[in-house]
Amino acid sequence: MAEGHVPSGYWMILTDAALLEQALTGEEDAFTALYRRRQGGVYRFALQMTGSVAVAEDVTQETFLALILHGTRYDQARGTVAAFLYGIARNLVMRRLDRRLRTELEVFPEHVEECAGPEDLLEDLTRRESIEHVRQAVLSLPPVFREAVVLCDLQDSSYEEAAMALDCPVGTVRSRLNRGRSMLARKLRGAACGRSIECSPKSM
Amino acid sequence: MQPEEYVAAALRALAEQDAGREAPEEVEMRLRQVFRHRRARRKWKAVVLASLAAAAALTIVFLAGPRGRPKPAAPTPAPRELVAERTVQVEVAATAAPTPVHSRPKPRPAVRPLPAQPREVVTEFFPLLDVAPPFERGELLRVMVPAATMRRVGLPVNQERLGDRVYADVLVGQEGLARAIRFVSYEQ
Repeated sequence: MAEGHVPSGYWMILTDAALLEQALTGEEDAFTALYRRRQGGVYRFALQMTGSVAVAEDVTQETFLALILHGTRYDQARGTVAAFLYGIARNLVMRRLDRRLRTELEVFPEHVEECAGPEDLLEDLTRRESIEHVRQAVLSLPPVFREAVVLCDLQDSSYEEAAMALDCPVGTVRSRLNRGRSMLARKLRGAACGRSIECSPKSM
Repeated sequence: MQPEEYVAAALRALAEQDAGREAPEEVEMRLRQVFRHRRARRKWKAVVLASLAAAAALTIVFLAGPRGRPKPAAPTPAPRELVAERTVQVEVAATAAPTPVHSRPKPRPAVRPLPAQPREVVTEFFPLLDVAPPFERGELLRVMVPAATMRRVGLPVNQERLGDRVYADVLVGQEGLARAIRFVSYEQ
């Protein structure tokens, strides 16, 4: 499609696969639309897998760079573009974790957000504290269980999508997810009480 | 609350907290720069390849060197279009030795020897008919034509050399129609 003749919003209605196809022919707008649609998920996946803002940024950039360079390897019959992207991101993340960079990763800073009113401050702080505790618990899972939890529970990927990204059967994704959740429950058990996320010691 | 419910609630809270997190804009800028750079490089590569192919064709067909080009035969009569230099009978089905046939009624001295250059370099055949009747047999006529003829079949020719004369083989079918042409140059 010739540049300048594309109505605004045209790219938004195309599927990921169609956008990728257009991007591979050199359509920058198609690439940009696909990037804007998918970068958040890739970034958050890398962030939740590594706990590092810097690594998440690098992984996002390298993932889409790989899409520019090797996007022709995408096979629609094997799964969605999102799963393809998660698969690339996962390999990049694992490479970093394998290099034992985990220990050097900075803990990402909190977002600067609007402060709650004085009456809500304590509740807000305890809630944040609780969520950070959950984040640390997720980060402490072994990578194979962590990636299943991050993809299926935090990124809302389907089992099929996760299976493609993790390059394993759907059944394996299910079992890893169950194992991951069980481990997470054990990790959270001790520290759950007294935090803002509701629980009662008896129920745990 | 059951442990699995507690875990689900905890993960939901974490997902909600992270929902707004995205890569910074600089990442998009950098990627778009790479995208543009790569697209430009691909276009440039295509242009270079096309130029090289054209140059190679030109070299093979036309610019094999001044000595490689066919020298006008010494006593060549005034320039004529499609003057037969020699003919070769082409049989499609049979493989019998070709019988020389002169296309002009006036007998000419025996087939004129080719220039001293030992090796002929020919192009592929270019069709001259859009829709040709079935080919059964034909003759290959060696002729001299203006270089402009090459341009008519899509070969690149320097503007200054359009008037030069070059050797060509014309394939004439059994019905007498010129079906295809190829161009000939000589290499030492």
